[in-house]
Amino acid sequence: MKRNKEKNIFVALCLAPALLLFTIFMVIPTLNVFYISTLKWGGLSANKTFVGLKNYTILFEDMNFIASLQNTILIIVIVTIITMVVSLIFASIIVREDIKFKNFFRVIFYIPNILSVVVISSIFAQIYDPSTNGLLNSILGLFNGEGWTTIKFLGDQGIVIYAIIGAMIWQAIGYYMVMYMASISAIPEHLYEAAQIAGASRFTQFTRITIPLIWNNIRTTLTFFIISSINLSFLFVKVMTSGGPDGASETVLSYLYSQAYTNASYGYGMAIGAVVFILSFILSGAISKATKRDVLEY
Amino acid sequence: MKKLFKVLLASLLCLGLVGCSADTDDNAGDATGTPETPVLKIAGLDGGYGSAGWEAVIANFEAAEGVSVELQLEKNIAEVLRPVINSGKDIPDLVYLAVGATGGLTEAMISEKQILDISDVLDMQVGAEGVTVGEKLLPGFTDALTSSPYQDGSLYLAPINYGPCGLFYDANLLATKGWELPTTWAEMFELGDLAAAEGIALFTYPTTGYFDAFFSAVLNSVVGPEQYAKLMTYDVAAWESESTKEAFALVGKLAGYVEENTVANANGEGFTKNQLLILDNKAIFCPNGTWLPGEMAEAPRTEGFEWGFTSIPAYTEGGDAYATTFVEQMYIPTSAENADLAKKFIAYCYSDEAAALFYTNGGAVMPIVGNEKFITAEDPNSLYYNIYNTGAKANAVGFAAIEKVEGVDLTSADGILYGTVNSVVAGTKTVEEWHADVVEAVKKLNK
Repeated sequence: MKRNKEKNIFVALCLAPALLLFTIFMVIPTLNVFYISTLKWGGLSANKTFVGLKNYTILFEDMNFIASLQNTILIIVIVTIITMVVSLIFASIIVREDIKFKNFFRVIFYIPNILSVVVISSIFAQIYDPSTNGLLNSILGLFNGEGWTTIKFLGDQGIVIYAIIGAMIWQAIGYYMVMYMASISAIPEHLYEAAQIAGASRFTQFTRITIPLIWNNIRTTLTFFIISSINLSFLFVKVMTSGGPDGASETVLSYLYSQAYTNASYGYGMAIGAVVFILSFILSGAISKATKRDVLEY
Repeated sequence: MKKLFKVLLASLLCLGLVGCSADTDDNAGDATGTPETPVLKIAGLDGGYGSAGWEAVIANFEAAEGVSVELQLEKNIAEVLRPVINSGKDIPDLVYLAVGATGGLTEAMISEKQILDISDVLDMQVGAEGVTVGEKLLPGFTDALTSSPYQDGSLYLAPINYGPCGLFYDANLLATKGWELPTTWAEMFELGDLAAAEGIALFTYPTTGYFDAFFSAVLNSVVGPEQYAKLMTYDVAAWESESTKEAFALVGKLAGYVEENTVANANGEGFTKNQLLILDNKAIFCPNGTWLPGEMAEAPRTEGFEWGFTSIPAYTEGGDAYATTFVEQMYIPTSAENADLAKKFIAYCYSDEAAALFYTNGGAVMPIVGNEKFITAEDPNSLYYNIYNTGAKANAVGFAAIEKVEGVDLTSADGILYGTVNSVVAGTKTVEEWHADVVEAVKKLNK
């Protein structure tokens, strides 16, 4: 009995530093965000007025916020679907197929992940250049005759968000590919051999063996997709378009930033932050629930 | 023994934590100053004028006053200072950051009333020149809304580095094509049609952020100074008026003459490509400040290119043509420790000695009487500063301080008033919609 108590004290003492750090750096700041979101505060002075949930009522009538939320959800959905499909296929090809320069491709695909978002954004600013010298526009120009006007990837309000999505997918593929490759490599070879003998095609092997056996990994990456899409979209938007033209590429975090700082409405910015926090929790939870399957043992 | 070891280990972990958070105040004494020599902390923007001017002026001030000055100039000073000001510790005694600069820190300081009233600086002597700061400053600068934002007759932000914002163009292009420099908007659009026939656009802009200087000059020339002053104080009736609508319509018409790639490049990443358009003779006019030739010094250009600079055209024949006077500000935060020393430094900045140093080390011009001593006729800068001697009127830009309203950003570079220009140019919003949005925002700000 005494030993047990001693053990508990020891465990508690060992956990204490980590718990303390977690409380100081995670729990308190998060609670603080919720507290500040109930204030009318410019962010600099001691002049804070408690306004209750007023910031939230303004928020849900603010069409700029709704538009930025729509953009963010669009980014999450499209980036997740395309990146996941492409990186799964690439991972499967590199691990499963007997192709040359495997390691070379592995490195090439991973490179965008090492580059900083600012560098990637600068690269894509050149790719999307609206003049005929732009990389994409000069290629498109080959297929179009005289009098063709170039596509304004970052200037057309209907296209700009997809242009940002394109850059985000390019950046993300390598990272997720490496994650999928790790779990695909762990699948025992004999399963594929047995499937081959039974006459299963490559595609069937992919859908019936690979996908089910790395399902847990896919589920984990789905949460990553949500969090990283929300975070990275801010950086891409900030560098490539500053939310423009005229707010067309604004995402929730870039809108939070411009409200909290440029518009000196810190309390309002934190209300946006609180909504994003809750939203990403709900989204991750819902996706995790919807994709729950029995883990297959092998 | 084992138990003792466990307890020791655990307390060691905890100690480590405490160690991490321990205040490092014992280092504070190592700073450059001692109690005898006060330290003046200056923080500001590392902008187009560079840091050499500041360093030279500070060196002289240190020698004259026997004080020590710490200078911190950063490109992202708003982001650097925000947490510092929030923490209330180590607040700079003097901040050099213009109203309207990226990050909105100065606007936040104004709306949060965090800036010290420095009206007494106006009565301070400028070195041994025998004049006060108030006498030395050019008229009109201290009562502008950018310096006296609360309209209470007090000075809060000291004006520094002024320069005209007008339209830049290639003088050689106009000369070779035989095109006249337009003085009215009617002539401007005529020129636009002529140029369009040769595949040259009339207008481009780096980002919508430059519309604060450009559009305010248009507004001033269309509605007149009296109503313009009302616009700057968010007067709803003034914003709703027909004459204000006419100014919007003018920009709407100009939108049809804007170079086609402008909107796509009107962001932090591509704005230089828009500026390049006038060097490449793909567009004629580009609104900008005097730093543009320096900023584009290394850029390739068409043969024979020659910088030209003019005011915004007059609305009607014989009407007033304006060029916005862009002026930066420096101010003392209310919680600064050495406010008196900072005031002394501000007064010193307006001395001939400091002004000469600022000008020769980076080209910044102080808004003081006797500037012509530095900017001689041979000086390339005289092209810009002469604009007011050749008929253009000075237009002050800057809105009155107002309590910020959540979700309503009217006046920032991407705000409703200027940011929407991109939509008007792209054709996704009409001028009427833009005007209605602005009026609605002004109404919300007045609530």
